[in-house]
Amino acid sequence: MIRIGLRDAKVHFRRFIMSIIAIALGVAFVVGSFCFRAMLNDQVSQMMATNSDADVYIRGDVVKKDHKEGTKVGHADYEDINVDLMDDVRKIDGVKNVSDTHSLSNIVLVGADGNAVTTVGPPTLAVALEKGSWRGATLTDGHWPEADDEIVLHSGAAEQSKLKVGDTTKIVFPDGPRDMKVVGTISTPNSQLGAIIVGLKPSLVTHYRELAGEPIDQTSGFEVYGDLNTPLDAKAQQELADRINAELPKSDHLVAITGDSVRDEETQSTQDQLGFIQPLIMIFAIIALFVGSFIIANTFTMIVRESMRGYALLRSIGASPAQVFLTVIVEAIVLGIVGSVLGVLLGWGMLELIGKGMGQMGMPLTGSPAPSWSDVLVGIIVGIVVTIIGASLPARTAAIAPPIQAMNETVNPEKPVRRRGWIGFVMVVFGCLLWVLAYVLSDGGDKPTPWSAINNWSPEWLLGIGAGLLVIGVIVLGPALVGPAGKVLGWIPDHVFPVTGRLATRNIARAKRRTANTAAALFVGIAIVSCLGVVASSVKTSVHDIVDDGLNADFVLMSASMTNPIPTKALDEIKQNDEVKSLAPITMLLGVSINGGDTMPFASDYSLVESIYPVGNAKVQALKDGEAMVGDLVADENGWKVGDTLKFKAENVVVDEEATAKAQADYQAGIEAQAGKLQAEAQQLAATGDAAGAQSKIEEAHKAIEDAQNVDPAKLVKTKKEVVTKDIRIGAIADDSLFNDEVMINETLADELVPENMRMVNQAYVQAKPGVDLKRLQNDLKKTVKPYYTVGVLNRDEFKSSLSSMVDQVMAILYALLALSIIIAIFGIVNTLALNVSERTKEIGLLRAIGTSRAQIRGMLGIESVIMSVFGTILGIIVGVGAGVVVRAVFSDNGLTKLSIPWDQIVGFLVVSIFVGLLASVFPANRALKKPVLDAVSSE
Amino acid sequence: MARSANHHSPHASMDGRNTTDPVVARAIDLYKHYGSEDNEVVALNHINVEFMRGQLTAIMGPSGSGKSTLMHCMAGLDVPTSGTVLVEGLEVSSMNQRELTKLRRKEIGFIFQSFNLVPTLTAKENILLPLQIAKRPVDMDWFNKVVDVVGLANRLDHRPSQLSGGQQQRVACARAMMEQPSVIFADEPTGNLDSRSSREVLTFLQQSVREYGQSIVMVTHDPRAASFADRVLVLADGSITNDMDHPTYDEILEVFADHHDETVAEELAVGPNGADGAALAEYAEVQDAARRAARTAGSANAEGEARA
Repeated sequence: MIRIGLRDAKVHFRRFIMSIIAIALGVAFVVGSFCFRAMLNDQVSQMMATNSDADVYIRGDVVKKDHKEGTKVGHADYEDINVDLMDDVRKIDGVKNVSDTHSLSNIVLVGADGNAVTTVGPPTLAVALEKGSWRGATLTDGHWPEADDEIVLHSGAAEQSKLKVGDTTKIVFPDGPRDMKVVGTISTPNSQLGAIIVGLKPSLVTHYRELAGEPIDQTSGFEVYGDLNTPLDAKAQQELADRINAELPKSDHLVAITGDSVRDEETQSTQDQLGFIQPLIMIFAIIALFVGSFIIANTFTMIVRESMRGYALLRSIGASPAQVFLTVIVEAIVLGIVGSVLGVLLGWGMLELIGKGMGQMGMPLTGSPAPSWSDVLVGIIVGIVVTIIGASLPARTAAIAPPIQAMNETVNPEKPVRRRGWIGFVMVVFGCLLWVLAYVLSDGGDKPTPWSAINNWSPEWLLGIGAGLLVIGVIVLGPALVGPAGKVLGWIPDHVFPVTGRLATRNIARAKRRTANTAAALFVGIAIVSCLGVVASSVKTSVHDIVDDGLNADFVLMSASMTNPIPTKALDEIKQNDEVKSLAPITMLLGVSINGGDTMPFASDYSLVESIYPVGNAKVQALKDGEAMVGDLVADENGWKVGDTLKFKAENVVVDEEATAKAQADYQAGIEAQAGKLQAEAQQLAATGDAAGAQSKIEEAHKAIEDAQNVDPAKLVKTKKEVVTKDIRIGAIADDSLFNDEVMINETLADELVPENMRMVNQAYVQAKPGVDLKRLQNDLKKTVKPYYTVGVLNRDEFKSSLSSMVDQVMAILYALLALSIIIAIFGIVNTLALNVSERTKEIGLLRAIGTSRAQIRGMLGIESVIMSVFGTILGIIVGVGAGVVVRAVFSDNGLTKLSIPWDQIVGFLVVSIFVGLLASVFPANRALKKPVLDAVSSE
Repeated sequence: MARSANHHSPHASMDGRNTTDPVVARAIDLYKHYGSEDNEVVALNHINVEFMRGQLTAIMGPSGSGKSTLMHCMAGLDVPTSGTVLVEGLEVSSMNQRELTKLRRKEIGFIFQSFNLVPTLTAKENILLPLQIAKRPVDMDWFNKVVDVVGLANRLDHRPSQLSGGQQQRVACARAMMEQPSVIFADEPTGNLDSRSSREVLTFLQQSVREYGQSIVMVTHDPRAASFADRVLVLADGSITNDMDHPTYDEILEVFADHHDETVAEELAVGPNGADGAALAEYAEVQDAARRAARTAGSANAEGEARA
């Protein structure tokens, strides 16, 4: 029996091609999602190994006060430690290098072409580098930075900026651009995912940290190398950590831990952050496998139908039903194995391509997407199981049909779909009710329903459960909808093509389950995409509305990177332009907390609320009176009302003049004492007649003084935290969309709260004087900010599209996924039509015999196919748009203020689905027409 | 012979059609073989035959005699190895698909043994289907007449699955008649019917020949069915062995007895040896009973196996 199954598989192999493609695609998605995770994980752990490559890390042993209780305490959750303790660590045996590496993320590198080097997302980092401080980096050319104006470039940065050793360029720091000389290049064993890494002299990094108000005498930890060239193994790391822990005094409050443990922790948390991608891919894997399983079921139904006589023969010579079942299942297993193996390779290949593609886009990956053996195994098992599930029903038909019935080849009429229809209907109704409830609860004000118990239900959950019920319900209800849908959708073809249209419309309703299953693949794909389409479109409209409805600014100044502020000098220059009426910078007040929460207030010029985005006199007056204007979303969240007093607390890090003076004096005294001692010794030596010895002592003394002069002054600067608190009354609650999640105060108050260095302007609005040529002014402004490299001048349209560019990117990815689900759906339709054609061989032969032309047969199948795909698409659009509407309502507080249904997209889906239907009918029609009329009518 | 088919209107046939050529279809030196050279089966061995206008011609012969192949070649369903087929002077044997479709729409009607109707269409829709496919106008008077003759006036809105075998076959006849083709080819039209339904169908065919001048070529292995024909051709091993004009049932039986044809003899042996016309009903009944018995035995067998 197994041999018969294997032989049949060989004979039917051509038939199986479509099933194999379907299984391969499904498995490819499953394995692809694993591979994607594997690739990212591999990349992340490679980067951790290079970028956090210390053998031992030393950190404080006191958990931060603001660490949330009950959550995991990570490496970064400990209090900072004093930098001076580094000297203690350095003395310990086995410690070859100690450093506290810092980096600046708010810089921009200017490339060889004079433009800022921008990336699609990866950051630009300036790392404090000196010889030995980063073991993972190898100097490939030149030397390490020895002066403040010298930099080294990572290979990726050099490639992106086209800068070479010896070139002079600029780096834009928070206080403006500085001329820098490239003195070397470094490389790391793995890619940095497109990050632009620049090495600076540590003293320069310290300077800017200080400017930014970071406590430079504190650090989060030290990195210790036990070997300057090769990483220590786990055992050696542990030994070194133990030794450090044993020798460090308890009073230092330091703990040494192995590098591996830190890397593992960081790798884990990064991988967790990236984990969301896999379920998304899995949804499409499930669609593919669902379609795959019924493509297989269809294929096997065809094969079984055509081989019925063979099975009947087997049965009549004594084969048991189980044996016949087995012959079919053996075929399925062969098919499953072939499809799964291809799928694994396909999934792997796709990821290799994605890796290559990301390299092209400036995010080179060195992580390997090769799936692990267990991933391969899971993929293959999934493929085989799905195949067996798909084949088991037809196999059962083959096995239990009585031999004579099998010989006579009667087609059993389809079971009625009414019961299934009712079940689906009830699910759909419940789903809709939940959605309506979710909509009402989130949109209906304080008391949406008379029942308080229901009012407390979470709309998000209602939405989710409702969506699940609806999707499954529609799939269950599907077969019952086929009849009516065929009639409605068939109306047009019925009237345009009287004969073929009518035949096609009636054919649709013949195998309702099959038609519905075929349409289901499109349904799910289209539902997901049209739901997200509505959400994305609503996001866009909501954002654009802010600009269209209230914003009177003609231009918006934006910083190229979120972390790099717009230089004050640039703002001053723009203000001096004669054609500029007003300029309102949005100033973030760093380090200021309100009532201990994490809301960060901002300050701005009155022109912002007066003319650029008018909010009404009352609110302006409140601001002028030194009161805060609070967005209604923030107010609701915290339960604040007008008249409440908020405690603004600014933690400013300032140079402790006294301590610094003392430290410098102490240092000076120390040096003087040493020099004096040396001089005394020299005099003594001179007295004993040792002139050479005295000379060397004097030189030593000179050198000590000289060294003291060269010492990094930053090392002697002592900072202190200065806390400024202010009670500010809430003067107004703003529901204007630009301000509804912000807290604003006037600039005078801001000056009192925080010093210059703790403020950051990353956006500013510009209003031109009336009658000014805006195009010319924009060019003028662009010229003005050119020397600052990082400031962009956007007009209104550019600003709007910059706000929605993220949304567009997300939509692009979704359309790619939609394309995949369409491809899968095409396979499904092709397969179903092929099965229909095979079942209707005689009927088509008859039609041909009585004069139906080839074009008419093609037309008939084309119309059937189009009805099927449009049916699925319309169901998908209805459910998807419905979901989008409810999602919009539920998340209206998160900025989805305006509902917008992208009708053009929806019409686009319908048009695409018509083409998909026509395309899918080509192959089955060819097959139907290939069969000679005689064979068709005389086959018995 | 050179007359173009495009010239005659559908109505021309009602008043006896273009009678200048009494032959509606002819085969000239028709040869057809299957299989490879060392395993050759000759189905048609250089046959020359003319089918007359306004006649019901029956083609008889045992299985494998080539009777179906002859009809299929005449109807353009099969392509002969060599020789020529002419229907209304048009050379069917050299036509491409497009020309064949045109031919089927205008000149040829079909009635098959089984599966004659499109299951999704009602009886009326099935009858009108050929005209609609060809986008030809429907002559409702003719339709009513045809429906009346086949006696289906009250079953027109039924689907094929709601009709008996005989009714289905009569719908098929009506459909073929509706087109008023030059010639109707009927392939064992009564093969699946009981004797009563058979008689109804055959009577209808006879009537359409006599009253409306329709030309019909019918393949059958049933001598009783053949006895309805104006002319009976008997085929054996790819050649025409007998050409009988208005033979009686007995004469037909005799031919087979003369030829000691085993297949037909066997088939006849199933029924009682009575050679009178009344025996047909009984014969058919017995055949049906035998078929039923075989089916019961088969399913009993299957159940037995399932239990084992």
